[in-house]
Amino acid sequence: MSFRTKEYFIKETYKSIRRNGFMSFASVSTVVVSLLVLGMFLLIFLNTDNLAKHLEKQVQISVYMEDSATGGELETMREELKKLPGVVEVEAVTKEEALERFKERLGDQDKLLDSLGSDNPFPYSFEVHLDKPEHISEITEKIAQLPKVETARFGQEIVEHLFNLTKTLRIGGVILIFVLFMATLFIISNTIRLTVFARRKEVLIMRYVGATDWFIRWPFLLEGMSLGFMGALVASLVLNNTYVALSHNIHATLAFLPIMPAYPLMYYVDIFLILAGTGIGALGSYISLRHFLRV
Amino acid sequence: MLKMSQVSKIYLNGSVALRNVDIEIESGEFVFVVGPSGAGKSTFIKMLFREILPTQGSIEVAGIDILSLEAKEIPYLRRRLGIIFQDYRLLPDRTVYENVAFAMQVIEEPYRKIRRSVMNVLDLVGLRDRATSYPHELSGGEQQRVAIARAIVNNPILVIADEPTGNLDPDTSWEIMKIFQEINDSGTTIIMATHDKDIVDAMDKRVIAIENGSIVRDEKHGGYGYEF
Repeated sequence: MSFRTKEYFIKETYKSIRRNGFMSFASVSTVVVSLLVLGMFLLIFLNTDNLAKHLEKQVQISVYMEDSATGGELETMREELKKLPGVVEVEAVTKEEALERFKERLGDQDKLLDSLGSDNPFPYSFEVHLDKPEHISEITEKIAQLPKVETARFGQEIVEHLFNLTKTLRIGGVILIFVLFMATLFIISNTIRLTVFARRKEVLIMRYVGATDWFIRWPFLLEGMSLGFMGALVASLVLNNTYVALSHNIHATLAFLPIMPAYPLMYYVDIFLILAGTGIGALGSYISLRHFLRV
Repeated sequence: MLKMSQVSKIYLNGSVALRNVDIEIESGEFVFVVGPSGAGKSTFIKMLFREILPTQGSIEVAGIDILSLEAKEIPYLRRRLGIIFQDYRLLPDRTVYENVAFAMQVIEEPYRKIRRSVMNVLDLVGLRDRATSYPHELSGGEQQRVAIARAIVNNPILVIADEPTGNLDPDTSWEIMKIFQEINDSGTTIIMATHDKDIVDAMDKRVIAIENGSIVRDEKHGGYGYEF
């Protein structure tokens, strides 16, 4: 393909997008909305997955003791726990410390605790740190059998919840993205159909003077790709700025939430969105050309 | 240049457009195709550039077997032909120059060659000084001359014209025919479907008359032969 031809294609594409002003705008907007939702889902999914994996790696067992356990029993318990294989550290949390921690979590709503009066509902507990996560569930079960232990628990439940959530997100996301994908495809192919219609005379003449099929198709394909690309560009800019601001805020206020840092994550997401947008654009035009441009 | 043997065309609705047609046209000939409306002239013309395929028979145009031609080879057949219609088919948003250059752009000719060839054919049809005009600024005859320029700019070996003077008054029609004569004089074969009795009679060329899908007359120096 010569330079002149490329220049010709680009000129024709630009003319066409301008001529179909409203439909071009509608197409780009649809791409923006679709890709924004796609991008948001992607980010939520990646972060939830990341969180679950992060928690899975945690190697801490919480052991809650019965209130009837005496100081001596607690001390023996501590020694017992330390002797278990794989345990690196055992930290005791007294009833008072537990109450204090809870107060901190409540922040300025700590008046809620006033209704408790002098009762302290929190049990005495141990936090048992292991060196590896592999045998955590067996060790937890073993601890649960020890005398005066009320419950022994590790992060597994939360991890399972999160994995369930990512599964739901994945299914919901796939359905939603499919619907948006079809809508985007529909509007882009419709726009290209209008272009083909507007230029049917030109196409006819091109055929009579011996233009090849691909020479005729290229400007239309480029138009669809440009619409998709422009939409993707807007969507990734919006998503980028939103995520950077959001992750900044979360780091400042909810520091314990292990949200993924904006970079390099957003580079990948942006590249993905731009490829997806351009691809949908190309596919949309191609569908239209197959139906309305029989050469 | 053209060889049709036992060509028939039956449309899907059952109507027979052409029946067992045999035609041979030599290189450099100027041939009129006449006959009443609906006799099969259009079908005949459209088969020449493979707009439609025959139901039966074989067609060879410019040394190319039309029936065995693959879809992707059609453009290369058409590059050897120049096609002209009654309604000119110019692009309204392009100038005379651009309309003619368009035929060379789409087959990716180099820019310099386009410039040179377009100015040459505009000279030939007498429209060099209208190169920057738009079709709506031209008369019907001038528009048809642009269409002729576009058809011949790629040096076709066969020019196919379907009622080229159908929308023009007699004087203008004669100007157009003079251009066709010049093209023919330079060695290009011309096949023209027409209803223009005066022109056919005066030009004294080979005339093929089609009626009800069959060739009823083929004379080396024929006249129009119909009175209406």
